[in-house]
Amino acid sequence: METYYARSLRFARAMLRNPDDAEDMVQEAFVRLYRALPRYEERQRFESWLFQILGNCCRTANTARHRERTHLVDDAAALERVPSRDNPSERFDHEWGDEVRQALADLPEYNREIFLLHYIEGFSYDEIERMTGVRQSALKMRVKRACDSLRARLSPGMGGGR
Amino acid sequence: MNDPERDPVVIRAIDELRRLPRVDAARVQRIVAAAAALRVTPPGDDPLAHPRLWPRLWRVAGVAAAAAIVGFVIHGFVPPRTGNGVAAPIAAARPVKTLAVNTALHESSALPIPHQFVLNVRGAKRVSVVGDFNEWNRASAPMERSADGTLWSTTISVLPGRHMYGYIVDDSLFMLDPSEPKGRDPDLGAEGSVVIVGRP
Repeated sequence: METYYARSLRFARAMLRNPDDAEDMVQEAFVRLYRALPRYEERQRFESWLFQILGNCCRTANTARHRERTHLVDDAAALERVPSRDNPSERFDHEWGDEVRQALADLPEYNREIFLLHYIEGFSYDEIERMTGVRQSALKMRVKRACDSLRARLSPGMGGGR
Repeated sequence: MNDPERDPVVIRAIDELRRLPRVDAARVQRIVAAAAALRVTPPGDDPLAHPRLWPRLWRVAGVAAAAAIVGFVIHGFVPPRTGNGVAAPIAAARPVKTLAVNTALHESSALPIPHQFVLNVRGAKRVSVVGDFNEWNRASAPMERSADGTLWSTTISVLPGRHMYGYIVDDSLFMLDPSEPKGRDPDLGAEGSVVIVGRP
């Protein structure tokens, strides 16, 4: 269970607009999982079921966060406090890991989720198709776009990388 | 299409992202124990707790749904639903049951709205409504039979939004609502009836 928890936490931190919500979201997913256990059908792999529930929780949380952020942009003072990525004097000195996570966070949610499920959590395209209902051709295109974006952001001489 | 697995930058990024965060084993055990304790329906009390029962239930659900439609046509009357709190004839004088609803993923400002569930089924001894709003617990919302014995109804408070539900007939048969659209449970992929509560 610890391994599932650690993997869930890794996935939630990468998926959420606010990574600080990750533990709460994993907890919520575990609660939903336990409540729905009686309805679990063995034809589905337990692991893919867990990540399907967790993905739903994260998307719901992101939608709520988006509403909050949309509300906040009315606050001019708050906007002034946001550091500009275009201004070198305000750019944070990210370590490689931070750069990777920031590049990942900047991907569209629908590309990021499929990239994470495939390359980080190791699900096959068959499994992801069953989990999300999205066709494999579309899944592969989303993963390719995610990889292209990461490469562009992180490659040396292309605005990123070390 | 370039293979991302051959791109050194992407490979390095993937390796970085694959690092598992450290977790406190004791904390995980606490969370798992808390999640297990929050389970509302004990396995022995839940007709949906037996995976092997599902194929049989779905087969008879189709037959029962068809029977309910025929019953509706013959009977010719089903009271209107009360998604916005408007009283329907069958339950006008009955108090609304308030369920322990799961508010974790809903807007904190949303308030439960009374919603009437009605099912036309002949010959049943017990009917209850189960859904994501009551953790699919058949004991949570038993329905009451009308005087002529064909209509079953109950009014419960449900948070606004999209909900999936069904009916448990005689503690053994899971039925969809023939008068509402069908959908798939996002977590399980199983079919259920869909209702949107609080739609303007």
